[in-house]
Amino acid sequence: MTVPLIHGDHISCSRVGGAMRREASRLRQHAQPLDDAVGELAGWEGPDADAARAATAATVRALRATADDLDEAGAALQSYATDLAEGHELGRRAALRVQGAGLLLDGTRVIEPWGPAGAQEAERRRARVPEVQARVDLATAYVGRARGRLGREMTRLAQSFSGHSRAVHPALRQPLPPR
Amino acid sequence: MPAEDRVDPTMLDAVAARMARSSAAALEASHELLAHYADTGDASTQRAVDTLIDHAADALRALTDSFTDTSRGLRAAAGRASTFPSLEASPGRAGRRRDPFA
Repeated sequence: MTVPLIHGDHISCSRVGGAMRREASRLRQHAQPLDDAVGELAGWEGPDADAARAATAATVRALRATADDLDEAGAALQSYATDLAEGHELGRRAALRVQGAGLLLDGTRVIEPWGPAGAQEAERRRARVPEVQARVDLATAYVGRARGRLGREMTRLAQSFSGHSRAVHPALRQPLPPR
Repeated sequence: MPAEDRVDPTMLDAVAARMARSSAAALEASHELLAHYADTGDASTQRAVDTLIDHAADALRALTDSFTDTSRGLRAAAGRASTFPSLEASPGRAGRRRDPFA
């Protein structure tokens, strides 16, 4: 059994991405009725009315923004899942080339096997190393770029989610005063 | 003399109920996110994804708390408004307000 060249499980990435987008869609369905609710509160006159309207509007804005970011995160994970699946296929083909050329993989490096070999056979293997290594590099670079994209997007969106948490916390710190 | 709420209490209750439903939806979404694991195959990418999921779940829990808090406040205001229907407020009753949940 050979160790796969490209690690990761594209199915699990796709599943999580799908779950994120599903939840984003559910949350968006709540946003419109809540917008209507904010409108209904407009006629309320009373000591707590302004604070309640402000808290409600801020929370609904945060809900929409969270749903949007969740959808973006899900789409990024689904896109990565597609890239990872392609990377697995490139890696599988590259590993077949390594094997077919009588060479070995040490991590992502193509090496000649240890042990006695005829001079002609050793020379033949050595000559194929650059070409086979290029195939391996193609697969690893492809997945590396996809991981770079995903990592940057996840970092950006994580910061955005933190902002949404902070946006609703002031509303939590100033609840409607009990009377 | 405390000011009175001039509002239809059934409207406040209806809005509070919507808030409560949204609160439950946000909590459910946070649980759903944490229930799955995406294996990216790379330690640094994995950390970025795991961090994102944690922050997203935190944001959803913050929304849950905020909706719950606002919903409670609206219900309390509805209770006060229905005890003293100030849409037809009379000055003589204004000083006798009490907390309906006390």
